[in-house]
Parts: sequence; structure tokens; C-alpha cells
Amino acid sequence: MKTSTKNQTNSKKRPRLVLVGLPASPGYAMGHCHTISNREVTVVEETLPNERLAQEEQLFLKALHNTIKEIAQIKQITVDRLGIDEGRIFDAHLMILKDPTLVNGILDQIKKEKKNVQWAVHTQITALISSFESHKSALMRDRAMDLKDLYHRLMGALDDSGPVIMEDEISKGAVLISHELTPSILISLKKGQVLAFATDSGGRTSHVSILARSMEIPAVSGLRNISAMVESEDTIIVDGTGGMVIINPNEDDIRKFEEKLEVFNRQQRELFTMRQLEPMTRDGKYITLHSNIELVIEADKVLDYGSTGVGLYRSEFLFFRKGLPTFEEQVAAYKYILESLAPHSVTIRTLDAGGDKLIPDISAANESNPFMGWRSIRVCLEHEDLFEMQLKALLVANTKGNLRILLPMISSMQELRRSKEHIEKCRKELESEGVFCHDVELGVMIEVPAAVMLVDKLAKEVDFFSIGTNDLIQFTLAVDRTNELISSMFQPHHPAVLNMIHKTVMAAHREGISVAVCGEMSADPMSSLLLVGLGVDELSMTPWSIMECKKIIRSINFEDVRETAQNVLKMDDTESVNAYLKKKYSQTITDLGVSCFISTPESNED
Amino acid sequence: MISKTLYVTNKLGVHARPAGLIVDITGQAKSDVTIIHDNQKANAKSILNVMMLAIPPGSHVEFEIDGEDEEEVMKLLERLFHENFHEESN
Repeated sequence: MKTSTKNQTNSKKRPRLVLVGLPASPGYAMGHCHTISNREVTVVEETLPNERLAQEEQLFLKALHNTIKEIAQIKQITVDRLGIDEGRIFDAHLMILKDPTLVNGILDQIKKEKKNVQWAVHTQITALISSFESHKSALMRDRAMDLKDLYHRLMGALDDSGPVIMEDEISKGAVLISHELTPSILISLKKGQVLAFATDSGGRTSHVSILARSMEIPAVSGLRNISAMVESEDTIIVDGTGGMVIINPNEDDIRKFEEKLEVFNRQQRELFTMRQLEPMTRDGKYITLHSNIELVIEADKVLDYGSTGVGLYRSEFLFFRKGLPTFEEQVAAYKYILESLAPHSVTIRTLDAGGDKLIPDISAANESNPFMGWRSIRVCLEHEDLFEMQLKALLVANTKGNLRILLPMISSMQELRRSKEHIEKCRKELESEGVFCHDVELGVMIEVPAAVMLVDKLAKEVDFFSIGTNDLIQFTLAVDRTNELISSMFQPHHPAVLNMIHKTVMAAHREGISVAVCGEMSADPMSSLLLVGLGVDELSMTPWSIMECKKIIRSINFEDVRETAQNVLKMDDTESVNAYLKKKYSQTITDLGVSCFISTPESNED
Repeated sequence: MISKTLYVTNKLGVHARPAGLIVDITGQAKSDVTIIHDNQKANAKSILNVMMLAIPPGSHVEFEIDGEDEEEVMKLLERLFHENFHEESN
């Protein structure tokens, strides 16, 4: 599928070469090489007449502005996909571009020495580069790299051709070869334009490999000097799964490549077929499969993986950064998810900060017991302004009416009622400003044992439950899940936990509301069968687990798993539960070729 | 004008990240801020200048601040240094 034989015939006989690197993004492709290198810039010194100076100054400011915009954009993409820390490097770049020493130095050279803008940028930045390069500290010498990067970007912006590659420069069926792929190159590519990537550098490429994966383009990195070895129009096979490339492959290589590609494509097709099928048991019980997401951009993938909505968007991921997100930023993020998935439902959990998810501007430092501390809804009910800003942003973003709001860590009716008052207040305020608000379903996380004990009452006042198994297990069993000394006591199939889940489901169904499970448990095959058997209506998990889960659900009878679950509820220890589940399900699971990670009972055969 | 000497107590000294954090503060200040290390004076609003000082761990750094928000800016800088730039201490 992803092959191109174009231009193969006219290349002279060039030696076959196999290079091994790091698998950066899976898949196979064959095509012709297209090498990208940093253009060499030639700069001429000119002394300009006075009337040209204002124009020259404008050229610089425009280029500076465009470069800042470009880096800010790349930073945002990096932060969205990889998190705040990875984005920091671009903060330094932005700060350098706004540095008065640099900017005024360049402007002075234009205005006072009457030099052309290229010359001013060239002399100022190269002077800085050489002083950093000659520095005694290795850390400072590394910074010269950043300055070089900025130099190329600014020069590119001045040239107006921009530092990113032009799309029509690359003919279809090309494999991009370069020393290092920058995110700016990647995001400037159109879909389907490039077959694969191969790069010299294996260092700072983690962001590139994640971007490649999300674009579903095979990539191999860490090939040391491939960019110097290939010539344009060399044919190359890229094995992104194995981390290998073959330049000028022989017939044997091509045959093997075609075999591997076919297997890979078949797997992709299977995934695609599974995507179309309903998650329904053989006797017709429909189980809703939703995705858990952390990044706004992941919303793009949710439907592709075959789920029918978002069961949990952890909104705190918007807050893991310097400075809190503004109202506008929040609206934009929620809107993106809600609108890209409409009419499918999207459950957004309100800020769940604290515990092991500290947010610099909110969380209290040094709590001796952070999991049971000042976190989650407790923080929100105290920081009312923060909470209401989020609630308003959610209501405003809900233009399609597919939003469900989920409140975390609820442990009392009062917390629920106070939260509802805030939601009502926000709705009234927005409506008085003329903003139309769709109705919103409201649910609570069942993750504190107190909530389970109050579950009959909670069920009367909310529209749905979502069980957070990680916290529920931790609090029910009094086992800190970050403490390695007791890690074996963190038992998802402990009868106490299973009875908590059962009690929750019973109460919910009495009131006619649905129950979701959004913890890690829902993605484990054996646990998911148990949860379905216990009557859970919805499982929410990482998008890539959906396909396997669907496969399992389609292979079973609901009546059978219900009976198994009923038997399990009669048991009084985890070992018996695991042994029984293994006896019941391990054959089915092995036959389906899926993997377990929770209850893989150790070698104790019985 | 006020001035104060602060100590660099993190493990790596004032490399790019701490320099960035300093400029985060000074860049927003209305006052002029000068950083002095090893008898070299630099504009503390310039990340390049601050980095070029290459202040090693364990050093003394003097700040001179002049302007309407001088007290406030000094306080923020003091806190930043006290907190080791949110890094491991020496």
C-alpha cells in the first residue's frame, strides 16, 4: 500500500546498505529518499541609505514576530502531546527572542550603523553563538545549539520562504531523511505526503516519534549519519516496527518487505473491521465502550479506535503548567473535544488536583498524606472562583449538548449539593448574559467508601455514576498504591472491592441511572468480564484498549458472565476469586489472543 | 535603589532554566534590575546576559533594583533563590 516505485529505474546501481536505529513509529514503507538539510545562508553586508532604514527595521520586527508565533505554536503542540516539561525548551527560545540585548543589538545595528537586516541578525547572533561556544561550562556550550536554531529560523523568516519545507518540494512517495526532524517540519506536512521518516539523531527525538506515531507514519531514528549517506532518489525501505532501514534493497529485501507490509496491513484492517462492530455480547447485551483521554488532541483518535465517546476527560491536565489556564483557554479546549465528538457523549471530570497530581499554583505543598488530603472537589469547593470559572467554561463550550459533568472524590451529600448550587449559579449568570446553556447530565465519581455507603441517596440526585477503581481500591483496602512495600495488597478482585462495586450498581439500577468504570480495571480482560457480569453499563479505558475489549465482549454470553459474577460475590478471599476467574475465562482469553495484566494468577495451577 | 546579595544553592548553578525563571520575574518588573557576579554587571532582564554570567553553584550574586516595584521584585527573587529554582539543592 505504502510503496512507490517512482524513479527507481533511473538510479544507477548503488550499493545496498542496512542501517539499524531505534524504532520510533511502527509500520513499513518503501519509497525514494528525500533529504532535508539546513540551508546554508549567504549574507552580504550592505550599508543602506537613511530612507531604507525604517523599512529594514519593519522587516526585522515582522520576521521576529513570525518566528515567535511559530515557536509558540510548536510549543503548544509539544505541550499538548507531551506535557509541560517537554515544552520548556521552547520557553527559553521565546525568551531569547524577546531578549532586549539581542533585539536592541540588532535594531541598533540597523538604525545606527545603517546595515541591512540579514547582516545585523547574522553578526549579532553569530557573535553570541561563538561566545557561548567558547564558554567554559558545558551547559552554556549546549545553549549555542538553541541560538543556532533561532538563527536559522530568523533567517528563514526573513527570507520569507520560511524555515519549514515547502509542500510541493516533496514529490509523493518520498521518505524524508534528515539529521533531525523538527516538529515544525512535521506539522507542516500534509497527510499522505510522506511515507516514512529516517533520521540521524536519536536524541531529543522523543517528541518527533510521538508526532510520527500520531500521524501513523513509520519512522526510524538514531541512524547516526544516514543523511550524509543517502542520495536523493535512492530507494529505501523503512521498518519502523523493527527500527531498521535498507537503502537500495535487493529483490530478496523487497519480497520480505512486502510480506511484512501485508501482515501489518492485515492487522490494520482487522482493527478497522472491529471498529465498525458493536460491543454487544452474543446474547445481545450492549456494553458502552468509552475512552479515557488526558490531552485535548487525543479527541481526534477516540472514534477511530472504535469507542463511542469519552468516558473520562481528566481536565486537570490543562492545569499542569505554569500559571492557570484562562477562561478562554478552557472554553477552547473543552469545545474542541465536545465539538469533535458530537453527538457522542463526552464526560469531563472537573479539576481533580492533589494526591499524586500536584498543580503548582493550587496544591498545598508537603501534605503528609496527600491522597487523603486537600485535593479534588475539596479544593474546588474552597477555591470557588476557580471552580466556577471551570463550570462556566464547560457550560459555554457545550454548544452541541453532549457534555456530561463528573465530580471527583465526592464523600458527602453536602459536597454534591454545594457543587450543584455552583453549577446552577453559573448557568443563571450565563443565561442572564444571554448565553444559551444546554442541559447537562451530572455524575459523581464513586471512589471513596463513604460514597458507596451513601450510594442509595446519591443515586437519587445524580444522572450517572463513574467508579474510579484505583482510588476505591486504595481507600477500601487502606493500601497506598504508591507504596511498594504493600503493592501486593493492592487487589482489584478483593471481595470487599467487588461488593462495593456490586452495591453501587444495584443502587444505580434501582434509580434507573447508569454506572461506568473508568479505572485501569476496565481494560483488563478478566476484570472487564467480571465488571460486565456485575452489571456495569459502561467501561472507559485508554483508546487503544478498546479493540481488545470489544473482541472479548463479542465472544461471551451476558447470562454466563452474570452467573460467574454472582458466584464470585459469594467468595470471601481474593485468591479464590482469581482462581475461579482463571478457570472460567483463561481459555477464552487465550483463544482471543489478548493479554491480561491484573489477575494473571501466578503459577499456582489448580 | 535597593541592593541585596543572594546565594546560589542549587546543584547546577544558574544555567538556562534558572536564568529563565529569573527573567520571568525581572522581565515583568517596572524597575531596572541589574545582576552582578564576579564584578561583572549585567541587565537582569536579558536571559542571554544572565546566562553568560555562568554563575556556578555556591556563588554570591548581587541584585540592584531601582524603580517603583523594587521591594516586590526583590522579594520574588529572594524566594526563587531560597527555593533553589525548584531544583535539587547543592
